[in-house]
Amino acid sequence: MAAAPPAEPYLVIRNVTKEFGSYRALDNISLDIEAGDFVSFLGPSGCGKTTLLRAISGLDVQTTGTIRQAGRDISNLPVSQRDFGIVFQSYALFPNLSIRGNVAYGLVSTGRPRAETDRRVKELLDLVGLADQIDKYPAQLSGGQQQRVALARALALSPGLLLLDEPLSALDARVRARLRGEIRDLQTRLGITTIMVTHDQEEALTMSDRIVVMSKGRIEQVGTPDEIYARPATPFVADFVGRMNFLKGRLAATAQIEVQGAVFQIAEPMPFAPGTEVTVCIRPEDVVVRQIDGSTLNAVDVQVGVMEFIGNHFATSLHVTGTSLGFSADLSMNDVRDLGIAPGIAIRASLPPDRLRVFASPPV
Amino acid sequence: MTAASAIGPSHLPVPVPALAAPVRQRLDRNDILMRAMLCTVALCLTVAVLLPLWALLSKSFQASDGTFVGLSNFRAYAGHAGLAGSIWNSLWIAVLSTLICVLLAFVYAYGITRTRMPGRAVFRMIAQIPLLAPSLLPAISLVYLFGNQGLAKGLLFGQSIYGPIGIVMGEVFWTFPHALIIITTALSISDARLYEASEALRATGWRTFRTVTLPGARYGLISATFVVFTLVITDFGVPKVIGGQFNVLATDIYKQVVGQQNFQMGAVVGLILLLPAVLAFLVDRRMQQRQSALLSIRAVPHAPKPDRRTDLVFLVVCLVMALAILTVILVAFLASVATFWPYNLVPTFKNYDFDMMDGGGWGSYYNSLTMAALTSLIGTSVIFFGAYLVEKTPRFQRMRGLVQFLALLPLAVPGLVLGLGYIFFFNSPANPLNVLYGTMAILVICTISHFYSVAHLTAVTALKQIDPEFETVSASLRVPFYRTFFRVTLPVCLPAILDIAIYLFVNAMTTVSAVVFLYSPDTTLAAVAVLNMDDAGDVAPAAAMAMMIFLTTAAVRFLYLGLTRGILARSQAWRAR
Repeated sequence: MAAAPPAEPYLVIRNVTKEFGSYRALDNISLDIEAGDFVSFLGPSGCGKTTLLRAISGLDVQTTGTIRQAGRDISNLPVSQRDFGIVFQSYALFPNLSIRGNVAYGLVSTGRPRAETDRRVKELLDLVGLADQIDKYPAQLSGGQQQRVALARALALSPGLLLLDEPLSALDARVRARLRGEIRDLQTRLGITTIMVTHDQEEALTMSDRIVVMSKGRIEQVGTPDEIYARPATPFVADFVGRMNFLKGRLAATAQIEVQGAVFQIAEPMPFAPGTEVTVCIRPEDVVVRQIDGSTLNAVDVQVGVMEFIGNHFATSLHVTGTSLGFSADLSMNDVRDLGIAPGIAIRASLPPDRLRVFASPPV
Repeated sequence: MTAASAIGPSHLPVPVPALAAPVRQRLDRNDILMRAMLCTVALCLTVAVLLPLWALLSKSFQASDGTFVGLSNFRAYAGHAGLAGSIWNSLWIAVLSTLICVLLAFVYAYGITRTRMPGRAVFRMIAQIPLLAPSLLPAISLVYLFGNQGLAKGLLFGQSIYGPIGIVMGEVFWTFPHALIIITTALSISDARLYEASEALRATGWRTFRTVTLPGARYGLISATFVVFTLVITDFGVPKVIGGQFNVLATDIYKQVVGQQNFQMGAVVGLILLLPAVLAFLVDRRMQQRQSALLSIRAVPHAPKPDRRTDLVFLVVCLVMALAILTVILVAFLASVATFWPYNLVPTFKNYDFDMMDGGGWGSYYNSLTMAALTSLIGTSVIFFGAYLVEKTPRFQRMRGLVQFLALLPLAVPGLVLGLGYIFFFNSPANPLNVLYGTMAILVICTISHFYSVAHLTAVTALKQIDPEFETVSASLRVPFYRTFFRVTLPVCLPAILDIAIYLFVNAMTTVSAVVFLYSPDTTLAAVAVLNMDDAGDVAPAAAMAMMIFLTTAAVRFLYLGLTRGILARSQAWRAR
């Protein structure tokens, strides 16, 4: 199997640090991005995701560290000598040029024949489904259409790398959801390596091959959307992506934890001494209330507290009887109907061991 | 998918630098070109602004033969009773004029922005009139109105118009539009939600005014106060014409330099004049920043409701002020076309026969047109492109900061002081640039420098409003910056560019202060001719020339209005949705 040496990843980032005065915006970032992948940089504002994108594009080069793209060291290259197309949150369409003028903008200075430029512009606009808008001005298009024009313009020179800087943040929810699919579909068809900066976890989860979760200038976790959601590597990721119960507890045995009077089994043994303080995480939707019998692990008696109707489920607070432990659970409409769950009644609930994430550090 | 190789040292021999050496981004042709041009702008501004000021400063510490004498010029100045007295005169004249002007401008601006009185647009236009004429014009008009043979002499109850009264009246007239523009802006950015809250809490109109309106406009008021104060204390036209024996700093410089050829003393007075101007400049910059921070994005513009009594009161008050402005212009016009005002009112154009008078004749008018056109053309190009480079050159922060500083410096330098610095710098035999002395070129350079700052700020504001990512997108598409400049930046900023061109043209036509030291017999200017004819006692021809200036600038303004509604509207079709 391991005969031929594997090719170097498309983008190789090594020890990249960015300092603004004494503030460290990127702290020793190393990351590989494979050709053709759609990668999202996800994190709260100020986490360094945009700074990293700007370092990759050369708009704000890193203080130290190297970046290689397609086997070429681009660390200190000016923007114009790098190979990328970029789309901004503000679209940055030239308002005084028609859609044709905008998309053709980079093509004209390559000196190719006019007919070829025209053909390429039509091709690109077909790609984003705006061929009929070619002679309009940006202000005459909707936000979503403008963003697609910006996308077509960024792809005009067939760059090796597509950078998307919060591309959907300025759009309303419905358009955003539709464009998510369209951009992802386009990216898959073209097979272009793409990096998207976003603070919207839903966006990152639905569009990406891989997600890079960042916080305070560091990478917290890199993984597929499923890995990030189901197996967060740090309390930060657990908290930032999706909703999560954080419960304080102690390690009772290597695979057993005691949480405020209740005792639970965990799937994987922890490499710490008993008595170590830990944080136990479980997603509200992972709490089980159906088909609990004597053999069910981690089953406890709970009392139902406040039930908040969300639409497709109830966000419900549950209190474990005889302890001070409380957590929230998302109960489906079926659960609530079939089991007759109402505030104040007692039921049984289980926290499946393979759904519990345990961290040795205190919660963020 | 190779999720396993996601992070950490890869399984590949990717070179890692042994030492974390700082990354220095290489420059491409764009960067080098932009930096070179930015340095050129810096060099030009250094020569046109900084070095003349330096020459002025060093001159004030020299004797007439050029030897260093320390502070002895300043001691001589302090010992000279007449000269030192001018400081006091200048100060109280400026304070009084400023108080009156800002008060009147506030009332007028309130009428325009916060009431529903009829004719607000017309009132707004009339208030701009004083900008279109040199400050000499109101002074001449006041002489006709209140002078020894004045129509309304009786209104002064035996006081003479020649002196403080005339100066204050003239300055208030001339600075009125400057104050009005600032205060109108401050009053128009108001948050309706505050007024609704105030009304809901049942505050009286007066209380709302005191607790909402005034605090909202306070930075504008302070800014207007300092701007007007600077304009008055550095203005030379009004006191020259109507000041009589009453000396102020600005006329002192002129007398010392032009009258007595005492350049050292001129430099000393110039430096003293620089102090209040610099102070005002610093305060104004600070206020402008606060004013813009005052309005949050979520503010809702306040729309005044009709109120018959208030509207009527403001209509009357504004009407009186507007009529006063129109009267001043009208009197100058009538005096210029009357055979002998006010005794023989038979219309004649003999006062427009400038070739028969001292002051350069019609030639000076054509010189002014040439000078204003060149200033407008060259100035607009240089200033806008300079502002573009300051805003858009990647990195290179120090040089950008330097150019920004040099561009704002002229705002703090009174025209007379700049003109004097030009004499010292460009007339020095040691300076190879002294070939410029006495040419049209030096007048154009001096005028561009004199009015650089406001034009620069206009350009910067316009540039800041366009998307900062245009340049990024262009660079990623490998389009050279100048192509984006000409294809996108320039067309998008066209309205601001035309504003700058008009501003420079009008000011070049009306300015006296800086160029009064720099013209030669071949390059006399219309505004200077007004001064000289008035000096020689040809007051009616002086009024006629002032009218020519006024009519020219007014015509250009109207042309511009037509342009914005016609050609501009068509070429900017993309702005409409």
